[in-house]
Amino acid sequence: MTAYLLRRTGQAIVVVIGVMVLTFALIHLAPGSAARATLGTKATAERIAVFNAANGLNRPLAAQFATFVKQAAEGNFGTSYSLHEPVSTLIAQRLPRDAVLLGLSTLLALLVALPMGVYQAVRRGRAGDHMLTVLSFVLYSMPDFFFGLLLVALFSVQLHLLPSQAPQAQSVGGVLADPKALVLPVVTLALVSLASFSRYMRSSAIGVLAQDHVLVARAKGLPEHLVLRRHVLRNALLPVITVLGLAAPAIVTGAVIAESVFNYPGMGLLFYQAATSKDYPILLASTLVVGVATVLGSLLADIAYTLLDPRIRYDRG
Amino acid sequence: MPPLLDVRNLTTHIRTGRGTVRAVQDVSFTLEAGETLGLVGESGCGKSMTGLSLLGLLPPGGTLVEGSSVRLDGRELVGLPDRELRTVRGNDIAMVFQDPMTSLDPTKTIGHQVAEPVLLHRGVSRAAARERAVEVLGLVGLPQPRRRLSDYPHQLSGGQRQRALIAMALANEPRVLIADEPTTALDVTIQAQILALLADLRARLGMAMILITHDMGVTAGNTDRVNVMYAGRIAESTGTDRLFSRMRHPYTQRLLASVPRLTQDPALLLPTIPGLPPDLADPPTGCRFADRCPYATARCRAEEPQLDGTAEHRFACWHPVDGPAPAEIGGKVADAVAGAATGGGEGAAATTGLAEGPAAAGTVVRPRAPEPAAAAAPLLEARGLVREYPLRGSWLPGRDRRVVHAVSDVSFTLARGETFGLVGESGCGKTTLGRLLVGLDRPDAGAVTLEGTDIGTLRGGELRRRRRDLQMVFQDPFSSLDPRMRVSAVLREPLRIQGIGTAREQRARVAELMAEVGLPERGLDLFPHEFSGGQRQRVGLARALALTPKVIVADEPVSALDVSVRAQVLNLMKRLQAAHGLSYVVISHDLAVVRHLADRIGVMYLGRLVEVGTAAEVHRRPAHPYTAGLLAAVPVPDPAQERAKRGAGIGGELPDPAAPPSGCRFRTRCPLAQERCAREEPALRSFGPGHTAACHFPLVAPAADSPSDVAAGRP
Repeated sequence: MTAYLLRRTGQAIVVVIGVMVLTFALIHLAPGSAARATLGTKATAERIAVFNAANGLNRPLAAQFATFVKQAAEGNFGTSYSLHEPVSTLIAQRLPRDAVLLGLSTLLALLVALPMGVYQAVRRGRAGDHMLTVLSFVLYSMPDFFFGLLLVALFSVQLHLLPSQAPQAQSVGGVLADPKALVLPVVTLALVSLASFSRYMRSSAIGVLAQDHVLVARAKGLPEHLVLRRHVLRNALLPVITVLGLAAPAIVTGAVIAESVFNYPGMGLLFYQAATSKDYPILLASTLVVGVATVLGSLLADIAYTLLDPRIRYDRG
Repeated sequence: MPPLLDVRNLTTHIRTGRGTVRAVQDVSFTLEAGETLGLVGESGCGKSMTGLSLLGLLPPGGTLVEGSSVRLDGRELVGLPDRELRTVRGNDIAMVFQDPMTSLDPTKTIGHQVAEPVLLHRGVSRAAARERAVEVLGLVGLPQPRRRLSDYPHQLSGGQRQRALIAMALANEPRVLIADEPTTALDVTIQAQILALLADLRARLGMAMILITHDMGVTAGNTDRVNVMYAGRIAESTGTDRLFSRMRHPYTQRLLASVPRLTQDPALLLPTIPGLPPDLADPPTGCRFADRCPYATARCRAEEPQLDGTAEHRFACWHPVDGPAPAEIGGKVADAVAGAATGGGEGAAATTGLAEGPAAAGTVVRPRAPEPAAAAAPLLEARGLVREYPLRGSWLPGRDRRVVHAVSDVSFTLARGETFGLVGESGCGKTTLGRLLVGLDRPDAGAVTLEGTDIGTLRGGELRRRRRDLQMVFQDPFSSLDPRMRVSAVLREPLRIQGIGTAREQRARVAELMAEVGLPERGLDLFPHEFSGGQRQRVGLARALALTPKVIVADEPVSALDVSVRAQVLNLMKRLQAAHGLSYVVISHDLAVVRHLADRIGVMYLGRLVEVGTAAEVHRRPAHPYTAGLLAAVPVPDPAQERAKRGAGIGGELPDPAAPPSGCRFRTRCPLAQERCAREEPALRSFGPGHTAACHFPLVAPAADSPSDVAAGRP
C-alpha cells in the first residue's frame, strides 16, 4: 500500500512538471505580446523594449522558464502586469475564499446526491424516481447564472430572507462568519453538481442492487436499510469517486459566473481578467494551481479507491 | 406431525412492462428433515423463483398470489410481516446461490460476511459471532479458517468462495437449505467436492435440502425426490430412482435423452426438444409443453392436465410415456447430412429453433470437395507452443521476473475434417491455446502452422487473407455479438473485411448462412438481443462459417446453453462439419460434450498437454491419473452410478500458474504421486497408436516399444 502511494505520488509530481512546461510554452508561443496587451496598441517601440527588459521578457525562453520554476518553488510568481500586485498575494487572497464556497457546495451536493441516487435506484421506474430524474435534468441543463438570478429574485428581492451578495469579507473566517450570505451562492453551485452526482450514484447503485451479493444479504435476513448501508453504498460509491476526483479542481478554479452574479471575486474572475489582458504571471500561476489541483484530485481519488476497494489495495505489482 | 416444509399452491406473479409473468404456478410439495428434494428444469422454468418465493425474496413487481401457502413446522410464512419473515431468512431457511464470484460483497471481509447472519439472528457478541464463523468455515473444509476471516473474497478461489457461501448459509444451522445451482459455475472436479460436502453436511446437521439444478447428472446423485418443472409448473414429481428409470412425462423423457453422455455413440445425433419454452407472460391454454411434445394431441392444446397419480409418482400429462427414450431417437449424423442435402428432413427439423422449420436447406449446403492428396499431411499443427504472461511490475529492478505459465510446450496436430477436443479445468490454459491457434495471440515460442505456413510469421494483408481459414466461436452468445449490429451486418462484416463478392453476392451469402444454421431469413433484420441464447449461438456459428474456413476453434460453444438447446447446437455443429468437411478444435471443461464431438481428445493441466488420444481410447483406458479423475467427476444421469462414486474424484484445486509445482505439475493433487514426480518432469510416452500421456506412474501400461520422447499428439 505504501509503495503504491509513493509510486502514485511520484507520478503526480512528474505530471505537475509537465504541466508547467506546457503552460509556459503555450503562453509564450501564442501571438500578441504581453507588452502590447499591457501598454496598448499605440505604445512606442522604446516603451515596449523598456517593459520587456523590466519584466525579463527579452531573455531567452529557457532562461525565463528557469527563473519561473525557481521563483515558483519559493512561492514567488512575480508581479501582475495589470494589477501591479504580487501574484502570490492575489492568489492567497482569492483561493481560500473560493475553496470555502466551492468546497461547501460540493459537500452539500454530495450529502444530497448520494442518498438521492440510492433512493432513485431502489425506487427505480416508480414515480419518485421519475420526478427526481426530471428535476436532475432541469437542474443540469439550466445555466448557473440564470439559476443564481432566479434564487436571488425569489429569496432576496421577493421574500427578503437572504442577502443577494455573497459575504464580502476578505478572510476565510470572515466569510464563514456570515453564513446567511453564503446560502444562496452555495446552493446555486450545489444544485448544478447535485444533478450530475446523483445521476452517477443512481446508475452505479442500480448496478450494485442487481448483483447477487445483495440478494445473498437479503437472504441472510438483513433488514433493507442495512442491506443498503452495508452492501450497496460502499460498492456504489466506487465509480462516483472517479467523478469526484475530476470535479476536485473546480474547487480552486472558481466559477466565473457565480462569482460575478454574487459579487464574490475569486480565482475564476482573476483568471478571466488575466486571460483578456495577457497578464502572464497570473496566467502561469493560476494554470499551475489548476494543474496541481487536477493532479491532487485524481491522486486523492486513487487513495480513496484503495481505501474503499480491497481488490485494489492488495493488487500490488 | 406436520411435515417440516409444506408448500401448497405456491403461485408467483411478476408484473413487468410486458404484462404479468406467471413465473410459478400452483406448485405444491412437502419436505422432511434430512431429505433432499431436487427442482429440475431448463432456465426460465420457475425453479429459482420457487426457491426465492419460499423466502419471500421476490423481484420488484413480484407477488405471491392469494391461496399460496408455505408452512415451516406448521407455521404459515406467506403473509407474515417482513420483520417476522426476516427472522426466518438466514436462520430457519438459508439459501446458497449459483455464482460464488458475484455472491460475496467484494468490499467486506469473509469473516464479516460469515459472522453477519450470526450477529443478526443470535444476538451474540461480535467475538462470539467471529468464533462461530471460524467454526463453520472449518466445517465446510476451508483450510486455515481463522486466517481466512480477514481475507477479502477476491483472495479466494471460486471453490473456496462457494465454501464460504455455504458456511454463511449454515452459520445458524438452518432447518432447510435451498441450494440454487450451487455448482453450476464451478469446474467438475470442484463440483464433485462441493456436492459431497453438501451431502455430508445435510446428514450431519439433519437439514432438509432443496437442490435446484438444470443438470440431470447432479440430480441423479444428490437427491431423494425430484420435481421436474416446466414453464412454472411441476410436470412430474417422484423418487429419484423412479424418475430416471420409469418417468411418465414426455418432457422428463426428452430432457434426460438430450444430455450428452460419455458412453453415447458419437455417430448418433442427440435427441433434442424442438422449439423454446412458452412465454410465461402469455402461457398457452392446455398443456404448456404441448408445442414441443411429440405426443401432443388436440386435447393437450385445449385442456390443461393436472398433476395426478399416486402419492409416490405424480405427473401432469394426458399421454404419459413409460420409461426412457431409445438412444436412436435423435437419428444418425450421416442421415441428417443426407437429409439436409436433399431438402430438409430430420436433421434440419431437429436443429431448427424457430417454428419456420426446415428452411430450404437443399439449396444452400455447399459441401467442399474433399482433397484426398492433402489428407495425409496435418491441416493445422501446433509445435512446442509457449505463452507466458508477465505479472505486473516484474520489469522493475530488484523484483523476480514472475510469469503466468499459460501454455507450456504444447504440441498437437489436427487433420482435415477432424475434431480435436481440449479439456481441462478453468485456468489450465485451454482458452489461451485456442487464441494462439487462430492467430489472435502470438506464442512466445513454438509455432502454429496451417497447411505448412507458420501463421506467426505472417503480417498485414497476408495474415488477413489467412485468417479466413481460421475462425472462432465463443462461449458467451450474449457478449460475442455486437448488440448494436443487426444480424445481417454481423454476418456480412467478415465478407466486407475480406472484400469478398459484390454487395448483392454478400447479401445472398448471408441469407444462405442463416438457412444453414436453421434460422429464418427474417431474423436478418433483428438485433442479437431479440434471439434466445441458442439462436444467438447459431448466429455465432454462421458468422464463423461466413468465410468458409478450414478450421473453427470453438471455445466452450455450448456451456452457456440449456440442455435441450445444447443438444440442438451440438447436432448442428456435427451436421455442418459433415457437410463442409470442417475441422474443429473444441475447447470445453465438459468431458461429455468433448466426448460427443471429438475424434481425439487432449487433456490440459496447468498449461501442459498431459494426455492425448482418440476419444474412445482416452475414455476407455485413460493413462494419466488426471484424465481418470476428470472422467470420474463428470456427473452421470444415472442415480445408482452417481451414488456409488460419491467422494471420488480429484481433491484440491489448481495451483497458482505463476508458480507451478516442480516436476509433474499435477503431483500436488495426484493420489499416485511419489518422490520422483517432484524431481523429474514426466515426458510424453506412447500408450498405443496415437495415445500419449506424460506420467511416471500411469494407470495403464505404456506401449512396449515406447520411446520416452515421442512427438506429442502425433497420430
